Amino acid sequence: MFEVGTFIVSIVSFLIVFWIIAKVGFKPLAGIMEKRRVYVTGQLTEAEHNRLESERILAEQKRLLEQTRKEAKEILDAARMRADEQSRNLIRQAEEESARILAEGRQLIQQEREEALNAALQRVAELTVELTTKLLHNYVTAEAHAKMLQEAEEKLGELAC
Amino acid sequence: MPAFPTLFPNSIFKINLTTIAMIFLAGLVVVVVLRIGLRRMDMRNPRGLQNILEWAVEFTRTMARDTMPTEGAVNFILPLAFTMLTFLFVSNWLGLISIIALHLHSPSGMWGITAHDLSQSKGEVVLFDSPTANMSMTLGLAVMVWILSHARGLRHPKKWLKHFYSPSPLAVIEEITNPLTHGMRLYGNIFAGEALLTVMVTAPRLLGWIPWTLPLILVWLLYSLFVSTIQAYVFSILMCLYVGNKSFDGPGHH
Repeated sequence: MFEVGTFIVSIVSFLIVFWIIAKVGFKPLAGIMEKRRVYVTGQLTEAEHNRLESERILAEQKRLLEQTRKEAKEILDAARMRADEQSRNLIRQAEEESARILAEGRQLIQQEREEALNAALQRVAELTVELTTKLLHNYVTAEAHAKMLQEAEEKLGELAC
Repeated sequence: MPAFPTLFPNSIFKINLTTIAMIFLAGLVVVVVLRIGLRRMDMRNPRGLQNILEWAVEFTRTMARDTMPTEGAVNFILPLAFTMLTFLFVSNWLGLISIIALHLHSPSGMWGITAHDLSQSKGEVVLFDSPTANMSMTLGLAVMVWILSHARGLRHPKKWLKHFYSPSPLAVIEEITNPLTHGMRLYGNIFAGEALLTVMVTAPRLLGWIPWTLPLILVWLLYSLFVSTIQAYVFSILMCLYVGNKSFDGPGHH
């Protein structure tokens, strides 16, 4: 039957038992479960974070690779263009040089020839005069001689020109 | 009615010593099991008993989540719900595992057993029994839960006042019926199981020591173990429900 004493003392006893169980049994148990929960959650978050990070790095790498490829292509193109230009320049210079050398050579030849011709004419004139002098020495006056000499020089001059 | 060792037997403040002692014994069993389970606590690989205990905590948490409005209320009730579940489970089973009774032929002043009690119990004095097979004890737990629920409800006094008449003033009746049925349900189930077992065990013996009701006893024992387990669960979930109903800090509460 209902007993007030048992009723009240039961409540008190149960509260004592509850306090002990909660302190000695439940608290460490809940603590370790909470610790595990926090640990697992942390691990999951970290894994997710790492995945995002690696994806980001991968994209960055791809971008860099693409950029590098483009740059290399540009550099190659530029180098090729420069080489073309350079070779064209070289060829042009060589052509100019050769033309110049050719012109110089021609001029030199011309000059030498003129010199040689002049020398030859000079010699011919001298020989002619000498010959003529020898041939005509006996019967030509000094005046006639001078006149003929001048005439011959004029003709030679015309020839030389 | 069996008689119990009693303190202050002739006053209004009678205390059933068996019940009180059994409360502490059940508590001791729970504590010992918990300590054994947590002896080699390990966060990474829980083993054996620790798994069972953690399952029990998860079970309690799920139970509280199903019946309570907010996570705050769940965390508030969780230690008490876990204690209630394990304590009642052990308590209910204790009386089924054994009931120890003495046969006294004369009233004993030291045990606080009067001649009137003794004549009613035919000389039987129970020393080991379920604490929950005592009406005063279960009602005590129920009233404790009732007080707890109102104490929590009073954290929001306006809503607490409002809930007495807001859906219907008839809800006030619940304030009496809830703790009453809460306690009496547990007491009735456990007491009935034990009373019937006692009757069957004291039936005439075959060959001097086997009660002829042995098959019935076994069936009833299994059924009582089932009922005891269920009642521990029912009492705990109702506790969560009652406290949850008066936790007014949740969203969408009327």
